Amino acid sequence: MRRFAPLRRVLGLFIAERGAAMALGAMLAALAILAGVALLGLSGWFITATALAGLVPAAALVFDVFMPGAGIRFLAILRTAARYGERVVAHDATLALLAGLRERLFRGHAVPGTARALAARPARLLFRLSSDVDALDAVYLRLVVPGAAAAVTALAVGGALAMLDAALGVAVALVLLATGFGLPLWLAGAAEQASRRRAAALEALRVRAVDLVAGQVALVMAGRLGAQADAMDAAEQRLAAAEDALHRLETLAGLGFGLTGAALLGGAALATAGLAEGGALSAPQAALVLLVALAALEPFAALRRGAIELGRSARAAQRLAPALDVIAPSRLPEPPLGLALRLAGLRYTPPGAAQPLFDGFDLDVAAGECVAVTGPSGAGKSSLLALLSGEAQPDAGTIAVLPHALLSQRVDLFHDTVRGNLLLARPDAEDAALWRALREAGLDGVVQALPRGLDTPLGEGGAGLSVGQQRRLALARLLLRQAPLLLLDEPTEALDAATAQGILTQIMAKRGEVAIFIIAHMRREAEWADRLIRLESGRVTGIWRRGEAGFAVALDALRPG
Amino acid sequence: MSGLSSGAWLQTIAALVWIPQAALLALVVDGIARGEGAAAAVLPAFGIVALGALRTAVDAVGSRRLFRAARASLTGLRRDAVASLAARSPLDAGRPASGAAAAAVCEQAEAVLPYLLRYRAARLRVTVVPPVLLLAVLTQSWLAALILLVAAPLIPLFMALIGLRAKVASEAQMLEIGSMNGLLLDRLRGLPTIRAYDAVDATARRLRAAAEALRTRSMAVLRIAFLSSAVLELFASLGVAMVAVYVGFHLLGTLGFGAWGGTMSLGAGLFVLLLAPAFFEPLRDLAAAWHDRAAGEAAQAALRDLAAPPELALPDALTAVPPMLASAAPGLMAKDLVFRYPGAARPIFNGFALQVAAGERVALLGASGAGKSTLLAVLAGLALPEAGTIHIGETPLTPDSAARLRCRIAWLGQNPALFAGSLRANILLGRRDLNAEAVRRILLPGLPMTRPVGEDGAGLSGGEALRLGLARAIVAPEATLILADEPTAHLDADTAADVIHALLAAAEGRTLVVATHDPVLAAHMDRVVQLS
Repeated sequence: MRRFAPLRRVLGLFIAERGAAMALGAMLAALAILAGVALLGLSGWFITATALAGLVPAAALVFDVFMPGAGIRFLAILRTAARYGERVVAHDATLALLAGLRERLFRGHAVPGTARALAARPARLLFRLSSDVDALDAVYLRLVVPGAAAAVTALAVGGALAMLDAALGVAVALVLLATGFGLPLWLAGAAEQASRRRAAALEALRVRAVDLVAGQVALVMAGRLGAQADAMDAAEQRLAAAEDALHRLETLAGLGFGLTGAALLGGAALATAGLAEGGALSAPQAALVLLVALAALEPFAALRRGAIELGRSARAAQRLAPALDVIAPSRLPEPPLGLALRLAGLRYTPPGAAQPLFDGFDLDVAAGECVAVTGPSGAGKSSLLALLSGEAQPDAGTIAVLPHALLSQRVDLFHDTVRGNLLLARPDAEDAALWRALREAGLDGVVQALPRGLDTPLGEGGAGLSVGQQRRLALARLLLRQAPLLLLDEPTEALDAATAQGILTQIMAKRGEVAIFIIAHMRREAEWADRLIRLESGRVTGIWRRGEAGFAVALDALRPG
Repeated sequence: MSGLSSGAWLQTIAALVWIPQAALLALVVDGIARGEGAAAAVLPAFGIVALGALRTAVDAVGSRRLFRAARASLTGLRRDAVASLAARSPLDAGRPASGAAAAAVCEQAEAVLPYLLRYRAARLRVTVVPPVLLLAVLTQSWLAALILLVAAPLIPLFMALIGLRAKVASEAQMLEIGSMNGLLLDRLRGLPTIRAYDAVDATARRLRAAAEALRTRSMAVLRIAFLSSAVLELFASLGVAMVAVYVGFHLLGTLGFGAWGGTMSLGAGLFVLLLAPAFFEPLRDLAAAWHDRAAGEAAQAALRDLAAPPELALPDALTAVPPMLASAAPGLMAKDLVFRYPGAARPIFNGFALQVAAGERVALLGASGAGKSTLLAVLAGLALPEAGTIHIGETPLTPDSAARLRCRIAWLGQNPALFAGSLRANILLGRRDLNAEAVRRILLPGLPMTRPVGEDGAGLSGGEALRLGLARAIVAPEATLILADEPTAHLDADTAADVIHALLAAAEGRTLVVATHDPVLAAHMDRVVQLS
């Protein structure tokens, strides 16, 4: 049972989020089932009672047909209404839980380092994340609702039968609870392994499919395409075997329910006949007991799906558990007055590296200064930016930095409107400020020409705009921020000369007013700097100020453009 | 009989076993009412247990049989789709993107199982079980059968409505929940930016607001869908209730008619009552499985589309070739080549000829769109020409020799596909008996074999990715003809120079043909062939 413990955490969160609605949904589900059971039971009682009364004409005349008749019709309507209510309430609660879960997961993932992990294996991690979220989505609808409804049904049926005969009621309730929960619990434990194998095989199938299609040329030229197709087939075979094992277990549990149901019905037939012979039960009551026993086990069978998925849900809960903790975003301290950023005695070892990249690294950037950092790949430029933006944590040393805006190499635009993308930088900005920022970025004409202006939705990653326009929109966002420090990571990489010049001119117009810290590969990015810093293997190997002799030489060493 | 239909029939038969079981149950109550002792109930009780066991066992066997057949059919669909995906030439414009293909083969294909298992079996039960039960009821009371008969035709009517509604609802729901995940993933991808703008809180609240809005919209649709299925439930419940009330009044003597002129016994009345819910059960199953149909049929169609024979085939795609010994650099000869894209009016090249001597280094120079890449792909055996011959060394390129000849070719594209894994895994691609160290030392001296490579080469620079692509191409000793397609396109001057350097190092002892519009690269070659 310990392996299902992570689920308790998720359930706790769900209850805190939407406990009342969840309880209502489960209660309505129980009511629908009980109304169905009662409908059958009452009908059986009614028919038997009328049959007995019909044998004696005098009794037939005084037999009260109104109450049971009305009761049967009422139960028929109640069952439908309760079922409808349950569906509406439970689905509404589920969707509300989804909304809360996604918000929480986002907050939980918004910690340093996640972005880098995502960047290395985006497809695999995102696939896993979304299938984990789906696994948790099912917990309420497939486990909580049927579980609670079945338990209430067992207790209510047991209680009602106990009023006729105490031993009978207790026995029926015990059989219902023991097999009703015992079988799904057994199933959950037995299915755990196969469900793990199934998840692994599905992931393998997916990764191999992507590799087969995306890497088709490389594979076929290496003579390995057939091997890749075989590997996919092997994953499919494992998937099929795992799914077959799960289905076999589910069928076994179904068989268990069927046999128990048959035994319960047969036992109830014998018991009622015995009790009736002793005079403890009338014939109509016997009919009621039998028909109730017939229907009472049914709701438990609905737990099978949830039980099969229990292992998967628990694993998802375990994997997502760290992200469910909401961590208050930590803020880097501000540097002393007159500085835009200060790195002092910094030691940093990148993930997976044996040696520290930076050891005793110091760097000050004055307020309003423009500093360009150059150096070969692997020199630590990106790590420096990751440290400054709080994505990476140093082993030792201090990082102090003014509030800043970041323009990353890969522009991050979102599946949102133009306005929504801009407001990220300043949530309270008014339209006039948005247009001003767009004008400064040279994008106002483009946005004005869009059918819905600021409210035009963009696709994932800003799809719908050209690469140059995307970069300009990110620039408008950067300018809107009005931060005293701009962090720029190769801001004109892969842009044509004209677009690059336009963007750099706009940014550099702020020079002197705000500090600019730019990671530069190309001459055009570095030539605006007040100070050029060359970085190699985590060490500063050259510093040139504008006007110094080496400045022009250092610029010439950069990529032209 | 196929497993699919025999399984569904077994499940149908299992549902019919309820008829004798219900009769025995009615018999027990009838006996109790007539004051027979407990002893009279023993045999029927035994029968109830035995029939119940039989029913559940037959159902289980049917379910297993159905599952195995359905699962095998899914495996077949997947296998066909993969085979066709692999055998589609990379030049085929109709080739799906990797993400879309993977989604169709993996996640979407999962919908085939519930469709075959639940929907198809429920459809068979609906056509068999209610009519048989109706006949059984008819033997006891024509009026009770009439009540069921009146309720039943109304149900298909609502079924159609529900079908429409449920389809809309389930599609809407899938879409909405899918887009909720999409929204979360979209924001997670841009985390560095969101964190840099201190917008974690605002974004989280925006995500919540979007999810709440989706919830409101989904619920508006779902309410209608649930309402229509509630109508079906109501008819089923009222059908049972009306049968119960009629039988009650009949037994009481108030409604004396409806039972073929006589009066039903208590046992007959109970028997009719017990069959009534079972009469409606298959209809409810079918309604519950209805939304499996749209998803399942869409998944089957998507897989069959993928499995369609490619318009432009990759010849000899799946053949594995045993490793060959190192061989001397071959010459290359192409004569009268004609190649036309499927559906194109004019061939992209017509009567093309090229002769490259063994060990020669040749540039195919031409403007973008002149067909250089296509030509190179045809020379590499990635698609067959419409007419003309290609010889690599002495061997002509045919559908049967393509796989073997490709092994002699080291192919370098503009963006080599890199896989998540180590540097070594990316060089070897599973060819375990090759020596990756030798090429790494020449082409990637700065990177260790264990260096992790992300999806699509994440973590490597553009130059490193190309060097890795080259290392992978020439690691096999028999790969002595290098075909490079625009290796320096989109690169800055430094990186381009670096890649040219690597390419020349790799061409040592090999024949080299590069398609390019880069004059710097072309200048390094022995000969330039101008394409028009």
